[in-house]
Amino acid sequence: MPRLLLFYRLLVRPLFQEPVRAALIVLAVALGVAVVLAIDLAGNAATGSFRSSMETLAGDDDLEITATGGVPEDVVGVLAALPYSIRVSPRIEDFAVIAETKKSLPLIGMDLVAEGATYAQSESTNTAEGSARPAVGESFEHLGDLDSAWVSSSLGYKTGDRLQLLINDRESAYTVRGIYPDSNGKESAIVMDIAAAQHALTRYGRVDRILLKVPQQPGLDQWTQRLRAALPAGVNVRPQGAGTNENRRMLAAFRWNLRLLSYISLVVGAFLIYNAISVSVVRRRAEVGIVRALGAARFAILTAFVGEAACFGLAGALMGLPLGRFMANGAVKLMATTVQSLYVSSRPGPIELTASSIFFALAIGVGVAVLSAYSPAREAAMVSPVEAMARGRREYDTRVHKARDFWLAVVLGVAAAAASRAPAIAGKPLFGYLAAILLVAASALAIPAFADALMSFSSRVIGGLLGVEAMLASRSLAASLRRTSVLVGALSTAIAMMTSVGIMVGSFRETVVLWMNDRLPADLYLRPAGNPAVDHHPTISLDLAQRLETLPGVEAVARLRAYEISYDGIPATLASIDPQALRKSRRSNFFSGRPIEQVFAELRDSNAVIVSEPFTYKHHVKTSDSITLSLGAAQATFRIADVYYDYSSERGIIIMARATLLRYLPDPAPSSLGVYVAPGTAVETVRAELERAAAGHSILMFSNRDLRAEAIRIFDRTFAITYALEAVAVVVGVMGIAGALLALVIDRRRELGLLRFLGAATGQVRKLILVEAALLGVLANLAGLIQGFALSLILIYVINKQSFGWTIRFHWPMQILLGALTVVYAATILAGLYPAQVAVRLNPLEVVHEE
Amino acid sequence: MKSRLACIAAALLIRPPLAAQYRVALPGYHFEFPRDYFSHRDFQTEWWYYTGNVKSPDGHRFGFELTFFRQAVSRDPAKTAAWDVEDLYLAHLALSDLDGGQFYHTERTNRAGPGIAGASESIGRIWNGNWQIQWDAGDQKLQAIDKRFELRLNLHAEKLPVIHGENGVSQKAEGPGRASHYISFTRLATSGSIALRGKKFAVNGTSWMDHEFFTHQLDSNQTGWDWLSLQLGDSTELMLFHIRHKDGLIDPYSAGTYVDAQGKSTHLRADDFTLQPLEEKWASPITRATYPVHWKIVIPKLAIELDVITPLKSQELTGNSKFAPAYWEGAIVLTGRRNAQPLTGVGYLEMTGYDRPVHLAP
Repeated sequence: MPRLLLFYRLLVRPLFQEPVRAALIVLAVALGVAVVLAIDLAGNAATGSFRSSMETLAGDDDLEITATGGVPEDVVGVLAALPYSIRVSPRIEDFAVIAETKKSLPLIGMDLVAEGATYAQSESTNTAEGSARPAVGESFEHLGDLDSAWVSSSLGYKTGDRLQLLINDRESAYTVRGIYPDSNGKESAIVMDIAAAQHALTRYGRVDRILLKVPQQPGLDQWTQRLRAALPAGVNVRPQGAGTNENRRMLAAFRWNLRLLSYISLVVGAFLIYNAISVSVVRRRAEVGIVRALGAARFAILTAFVGEAACFGLAGALMGLPLGRFMANGAVKLMATTVQSLYVSSRPGPIELTASSIFFALAIGVGVAVLSAYSPAREAAMVSPVEAMARGRREYDTRVHKARDFWLAVVLGVAAAAASRAPAIAGKPLFGYLAAILLVAASALAIPAFADALMSFSSRVIGGLLGVEAMLASRSLAASLRRTSVLVGALSTAIAMMTSVGIMVGSFRETVVLWMNDRLPADLYLRPAGNPAVDHHPTISLDLAQRLETLPGVEAVARLRAYEISYDGIPATLASIDPQALRKSRRSNFFSGRPIEQVFAELRDSNAVIVSEPFTYKHHVKTSDSITLSLGAAQATFRIADVYYDYSSERGIIIMARATLLRYLPDPAPSSLGVYVAPGTAVETVRAELERAAAGHSILMFSNRDLRAEAIRIFDRTFAITYALEAVAVVVGVMGIAGALLALVIDRRRELGLLRFLGAATGQVRKLILVEAALLGVLANLAGLIQGFALSLILIYVINKQSFGWTIRFHWPMQILLGALTVVYAATILAGLYPAQVAVRLNPLEVVHEE
Repeated sequence: MKSRLACIAAALLIRPPLAAQYRVALPGYHFEFPRDYFSHRDFQTEWWYYTGNVKSPDGHRFGFELTFFRQAVSRDPAKTAAWDVEDLYLAHLALSDLDGGQFYHTERTNRAGPGIAGASESIGRIWNGNWQIQWDAGDQKLQAIDKRFELRLNLHAEKLPVIHGENGVSQKAEGPGRASHYISFTRLATSGSIALRGKKFAVNGTSWMDHEFFTHQLDSNQTGWDWLSLQLGDSTELMLFHIRHKDGLIDPYSAGTYVDAQGKSTHLRADDFTLQPLEEKWASPITRATYPVHWKIVIPKLAIELDVITPLKSQELTGNSKFAPAYWEGAIVLTGRRNAQPLTGVGYLEMTGYDRPVHLAP
């Protein structure tokens, strides 16, 4: 009990006397915790619970059979005839867009004859399974009708409704023949008989997937082996839903980086707690001395201060929980956007606030608070009663350690440089993070020396410039160097993060813009209407592509065909192009630096491919290596002719000549077209011509400029979450400044009271505080900018490269940086307004009376 | 004659196809083998029907049934992609563990698809998934896989196929075309193995095969039928069926075939034999239908009198859809006499229309 009483008297009571300051600290912790929690929750929802949308109607199947470009359909017959008791469920799968709502949904073609009968058979024993399918009677009745579709109930249709569907570049009318329930967390989908799906998608000769249910004995591995023996070389057998795991693996680096980014707010928060407890220790030095003199043990003092921090942490974390849950809503949307445009189409799952995530949030809130409070609390415990009751030595320690800390900072800086050269571990840039952490630590240690140097410089200059109040402000900051350093450390960390990410994103954006100039040589681009996605590739009818070639004003039409494949257990894109470079680009887009004609000639004349930079990074391959691809029923080996820079997607891309790919996968329909307008013809004229020719097809047409604008728009949307995280960290930093200045004012009430007593006007006191805030801002901005520059190098050349494999050219995004820094600077000064008001309201008489 | 119900049920579910698209069974049809062992796409309905009685060396008796049905759905010349449904292929599989007192049955429905089901002369195979008959040097190799049991049997024809009816048609009702083309292998020496719940039995015995194809066959006042295949101890065989009317009378187109030891067949008209159900009945716990499981057969012109009983009363196949009626199809044992000489045998009995009248008209 006495210890609790001590805790209450020494620490809790003062808090009530300074509610604003206490609130600011708690809020800072709350924001930090909220951001971490929000990213964690949103990450789980947007990527963790990720399930390929094609799994919607997958039942209890064990294995799936896939092949690039589709499984040859004869494989279905082969599997069905195997002398094993296995259930074989072929699927023709793609996406369809409901014309009315523009909603893109999985289109699942299943064998309603066989599956309808099978599920009807099991209906008596397992109604739940049976009822999720179109009923057998219905499916038989409309078996011959190729316009029959079954839809899930959440889409709001009823039997007999007409439904316009956009499939590839064609819109057709379908009739809803039945509704199946999709309530239990299942995604909406459109179901057709496999024959109808085959015609709708003109996918003849191949199915997309074959699902298998095998007996429990002798185990999945054995079954996989047995089945593989019965299948052609290019066809894969893998556990059903393996695609989901592959996607998860692909998204791991993205989630990991986002999570670490979210911790930055927490680091900023840690600085603030450290500062708050330091202030608390310094201010109560005398009380601590008295309590110690009265017999309190050192440990009791330590516990009291750590306890104070823990309370801040707990209160902050408790506030952070609902806040984080709320922020997760927005974060999920932003993250889902990024996932969709860079990785894979998926819809985010529900946000689930689990017991473990609550525990996690509380633990980091309290943990960070306790860790950052430990050092000042220990210092409080170390003070000897006599020393504490005397005054004037409080800043001594910091001054003494300034030089030592600076050299320590240099050592850490060197260590950071060394760590940044180390390779990734298991695909994660662990040493990159270490380098970043070392750099932040080095900055924190270097800041006292930095601040001291700058303050002693400024106190000489500033008096002449801004008057005596400014000089007082500068000297006051230099005098309380520890506090100043901690504040500058907190804000500069936030600024450094903002700057570094700003530089990284700005450089990235600039790199993409430059790259697009070379990459998009055609004048007009066509692709099927519907929602674009990185992992599905609707096609344009071949006859349309051929017709366009003959139009007047069209010089040439380049056809691109893309397939979604799995390479080495990670999703990738396989594409084919017409290897004829119509227009030379100024710069080579290849690692080798060779001109595009030369590389394309190699593609045309040999069994060679080019791969994107992220592909080489993910699969550890380089130019001249060989890669083996499963294509249709065959397996073929290709030489990597060159590596090209690619920023369109984080997934790896393999490109080969159109003729090469057609040898393996004979579907000639292109996924997109690039139209070259003949010299001397207006693009708009040709565009009108193309639109007329494409009447009846649902095609989107982009001019070269449209496409670039679209790409940049997607790019900016992709990094929205990054900006949001930065903003929160800066808000936490600025709040810290406000809180610290407030503490400063309260701490210096005697001094300020004395100034007032000696005749200082209220305006002068206000100016004094505001100049302090401004000086803190300058210090933090300068320190943050330097630190941010160094961090951006680590981000661009180490963390980004090792996580995603992109080569980014360094670029200063001056406008963005200047704008952001100005806002932060203004915010810092504004943060001084309230403390200044408090200082002005001090009653000088009362203060002097105390003295 | 075996008008298989599942087929008809399926025909009722799909939009009534134009019968005019298909050929009907008319007198004078010229059979040709092996062509006529396989599919006849121009007829609407077709089936291949294997039943048999076998036993293991230690005397454990089994009966089995494996049937393949083909029901034409569409002959649209525009729909010829792999998954387009031109025919529905249904199949029924049953195993009667006569000494174990258990009856197992299952069924499947498929389209031809990319090699999922069919009856192809070029590869000598009639199949539905992994249930198949593979012709191999004149023998028929039967394989059927179920999760509870597996059949692997070799069927060796001891007699040439018999053509039922007169002039190549087995008439089923009044009017031209209300008939089928109907052949049987009446005595197939059978050997192979049966695996049942992890236990394997080597078995030997005799099987019977029916193959019938037709379009639009029966009358609407015909409500059900009883059909038997009998393999007698003196190396002769009998096939008999009668069609029952709503009013309980027996249809005059009921008929039969007698095959002598040399394989020569004789057509039996309805008034050549009597097929009489006796008192003993078996009530199905699933469909509540009551089946007569004890029959008396008298064929005066062959001086044959036979008593038909079954070693396992529960051999009812219940359909998996509300549209498909149930039927009883099971192994039977025969005792009796011919010209005062004792005569025994085995066979299969099929009884339909006992749970409810079979609606045959589309």
